[in-house]
Amino acid sequence: MRKHVGDLCLQAGMLQDSLVHYHMSVELLRSVNDFLWLGAALEGLCSASVIYHYPGGTGGKSGARRFQGSTLPAEAANRHRPGAQEVLIDPGALTTNGINPDTSTEIGRAKNCLSPEDIIDKYKEAISYYSKYKNAGVIELEACIKAVRVLAIQKRSMEASEFLQNAVYINLRQLSEEEKIQRYSILSELYELIGFHRKSAFFKRVAAMQCVAPSIAEPGWRACYKLLLETLPGYSLSLDPKDFSRGTHRGWAAVQMRLLHELVYASRRMGNPALSVRHLSFLLQTMLDFLSDQEKKDVTQSLENYTSKCPGTMEPIALPGGLTLPPVPFTKLPIVRHVKLLNLPASLRPHKVKSLLGQNMSTKSPFIYSPIIAHNRGEERSKKIDFQWVQGDVCEVQLMVYNPMPFELRVENMGLLTSGVEFESLPAALSLPAESGLYPVTLVGVPQTTGTITVNGYHTTVFGVFSDCLLDNLPGIKTSGSTVEVIPALPRLQISTSLPRSAHSLQPSSGDEVSTNVSVQLYNGESQQLIIKLENIGMEPLEKLEVTSKVLTTKEKLYGDFLSWKLEETLAQFPLLPGKVATFTINIKVKLDFSCQENLLQDLSDDGISVSGFPLSSPFRQVVRPRVEGKPVNPPESSKAGDYSHVKTLEAVLNFKYSGGPGHTEGYYRNLSLGLHVEVEPSVFFTRVSTLPASSTRQCHLLLDVFNSTEHELTVSTRSSEVLILHAGECQRMAIQVDKFNFESFPESPGEKGQFANPKQLEEERREARGLEIHSKLGIHWRIPSLKRSGEASVEGLLNQLVLEHLQLAPLQWDVLVDGQLCDREAVAACQVGDPVRLEVRLTNQSPRSVGPFALTVVPFQDHQNGVHNYDLRDTVSFVGSSTFYLDAVQPSGQSACLGALLFLYTGDFFLHIRFHEDSTSKELPPSWFCLPSVHVRALEVQA
Amino acid sequence: MAVCVAVIAKENYPLYIRSTPTENELKFHYMVHTSLDVVDEKISAMGKALVDQRELYLGLLYPTEDYKVYGYVTNSKVKFVMVVDSSNTALRDNEIRSMFRKLHNSYTDVMCNPFYNPGDRIQSRAFDNMVTSMMIQVC
Repeated sequence: MRKHVGDLCLQAGMLQDSLVHYHMSVELLRSVNDFLWLGAALEGLCSASVIYHYPGGTGGKSGARRFQGSTLPAEAANRHRPGAQEVLIDPGALTTNGINPDTSTEIGRAKNCLSPEDIIDKYKEAISYYSKYKNAGVIELEACIKAVRVLAIQKRSMEASEFLQNAVYINLRQLSEEEKIQRYSILSELYELIGFHRKSAFFKRVAAMQCVAPSIAEPGWRACYKLLLETLPGYSLSLDPKDFSRGTHRGWAAVQMRLLHELVYASRRMGNPALSVRHLSFLLQTMLDFLSDQEKKDVTQSLENYTSKCPGTMEPIALPGGLTLPPVPFTKLPIVRHVKLLNLPASLRPHKVKSLLGQNMSTKSPFIYSPIIAHNRGEERSKKIDFQWVQGDVCEVQLMVYNPMPFELRVENMGLLTSGVEFESLPAALSLPAESGLYPVTLVGVPQTTGTITVNGYHTTVFGVFSDCLLDNLPGIKTSGSTVEVIPALPRLQISTSLPRSAHSLQPSSGDEVSTNVSVQLYNGESQQLIIKLENIGMEPLEKLEVTSKVLTTKEKLYGDFLSWKLEETLAQFPLLPGKVATFTINIKVKLDFSCQENLLQDLSDDGISVSGFPLSSPFRQVVRPRVEGKPVNPPESSKAGDYSHVKTLEAVLNFKYSGGPGHTEGYYRNLSLGLHVEVEPSVFFTRVSTLPASSTRQCHLLLDVFNSTEHELTVSTRSSEVLILHAGECQRMAIQVDKFNFESFPESPGEKGQFANPKQLEEERREARGLEIHSKLGIHWRIPSLKRSGEASVEGLLNQLVLEHLQLAPLQWDVLVDGQLCDREAVAACQVGDPVRLEVRLTNQSPRSVGPFALTVVPFQDHQNGVHNYDLRDTVSFVGSSTFYLDAVQPSGQSACLGALLFLYTGDFFLHIRFHEDSTSKELPPSWFCLPSVHVRALEVQA
Repeated sequence: MAVCVAVIAKENYPLYIRSTPTENELKFHYMVHTSLDVVDEKISAMGKALVDQRELYLGLLYPTEDYKVYGYVTNSKVKFVMVVDSSNTALRDNEIRSMFRKLHNSYTDVMCNPFYNPGDRIQSRAFDNMVTSMMIQVC
């Protein structure tokens, strides 16, 4: 009864009285051995003490609750279980009819009050008494909970946990499902209170599982989900994938995975597929390293199932509880390792028209070089890439990706995320093989405006989930800058040629990349037209075109212009509107050295005709002498093949610089290169060259040994002479009568250049000019009738100094006049026997210095046409005056003449050889200069 | 005798966890995970006292119906948690203590490996063997 009075006192707010009464009841009950009542009395004592010690509680509401929690069960102990259960089910509902704890604060100190340590001891005691009764489980639980609350206030978590541990084991039978949930929730709440977050999460999860236990008819998925969400912090799990992006994952993967699986399942049963997709993708993204292969398959399978109903998006999902689920981008499916912005292909790369050099430099700093500025620029460059993209052109970004999944990964709709410039991203779909290595993927897009573009990331669709992955958030990614300047649009040019494309690529030494290569096979000396179609395939009109060519350095000496073109005709068609085609013609002319190799030359020099070129006695040897001897064919086949069928290649690069549209006004142009690969097969060779003087001093004979190195019959013709037919591998000699050249008239043109060119170059130029002159005079052409191909042949390469000298008109021009008539060549001067014949020798000096004086002796002789020359003509020819003439010194471009006379005494054919008396003064002059014509005089009978 | 052995890093994530009946792995994960609460509590209670001279062995963390959970904390706040079958009453506190010491030594060896990256999961075979020996020692 004392206990009951104590209860009533407590309820009435008379703390002192209730303490006294409780003490008395404890004493009484101890002797009676009624443990249930004893426990209740002890508990009541504790409650009163607690109220005394912590009058305000820890806070308004919790204090009130504790107060009521401690009073009502005491009351319930009397009425036994029904009331207690009510409290357990809905403790919050009873808060209103409690007593205001503030009223008890004014009550003074009491002797009977328990110390804080004693409270716990008494609680322990009470609980141990309760536990003796099986039916008192609820009350025991209640006491435990109260003790924990007290301990929580006292901050003695260890002991509180012991109490709670005990509470867990209290066996409560016949609890309804709802009560179970309630119980677990309360437990978790208490654990939370004493700072055991993990334990609290554990019980919360158990509570959540209870919500959907199979025994319940109507599973409360929503409640379950809500409870599960509350457990997340306990498992140190955040639903924001950003927390997982740095470094390796650290946490209880197995436990967290389990929780996520439950979340997914709960959200699905809740009828919110978007939520489950979000959770599932989160699971896949963050726990990828911990999933086994089978699990990966299962998870993706279910993810695909969900997304077929509700595609994953990038919008954050807001939960009713005020929590928002941030989007989960799949940065690991696939994993991107390397991002590289690609330059445009060489042919589309824009170039800036060079402005004044150093202008930008001077604006930045007054110093030519400053390490500080260099440093700054280096940093700046780390972000910005030093090439440009062009508006309206397809730009590429290369990603190195790999697939960590054990099955084929289908990535769809992969595109770029950019900022700064309007950018039309062209999405790509790819399929990555299982556990692939690094796999290059090129994402393309078209910038629509100009400015500076920054590539921020990429977006993908994997398993039906859209994700936007920003590069900044990706771990372990390598980028080489992601900012590029976009310049205004430029036209695009496509070239197609009349020639086949070639597989040959030119040597990279050329420096710039070549977009197209064409090849052609030509015989030496042949020329061909290359028609290039220029098509504007861009969107801008083509306004400007420049063509340059560069012949790649070869060992071969090239004569004449290799490539020649006329740009004017093409330019007349400009501006070229989009889609229009212009044509451009280029002449290719290959003229390599027609001389042949040294060994062949030696082989053929058996002829006995000296090249040294002193006038030979007989001028009648200019007959074309067929030379079909076996000799040249003699060398073994192999070496011959090596010598003649050696194909030489010529390579050149044609550069088209073009511009137009808005990019042109900005000063950009594009460069398109066409590689030209020409295989030159040898056609004819001039194996030897020599000269023979003709009968006239103004002319001479050029002897050429022509060798046909092709496998076809070949004809060679010159301008003047007849056609020479050569069979394959045949060598013939042809003689061409040519007028001697007066080189002196033109080589003076490069004279002005001579100031800065060294003599050697000058000499080279003169030689070339001479060669050209000879070539144009000769006009040697070859033709292969079977192939219907023809070309030129040139002797330029094989004219040596000696031959040239012979071909050259001597600067001292000698004219011999007989009876006032110019006597030259084979023309026969007729005269009558007995009449004196006037002989005049005239010298015109065209050399730049004065020559002479000279002495000339006329020696008459008779040729018996059998190699015998009869010089003993003293009886038949007599001189009127002296037979020796003297010429004075002749100034440059001066003229001088000397006269003499002859008297023929008998009829007959006479030759006059004018012999030149060498003087020491004229030693330095070449002997060919003093080549005087012989005069043929026919003395006839006097007509009666 | 030990049913589950776990090494937990300073930041409370597992460096190593192994249990004998593998089919019930998740249960032990939960158990070790929740025991960390107690460990934390004990450390914070002790830490204020003498940091240098404190006892590394934490003793029994909490008993469950079937198992007992023991804890041990190194000076660098790396935790060892051992779950022992509670039916095995022969096991004394001293034995548990020596087992923890052994575990600690082995862990130190792992740490001495220059190729081991502190914070990574322990994959050392020697450590694994030692744990295995501890698990089957009695039984």
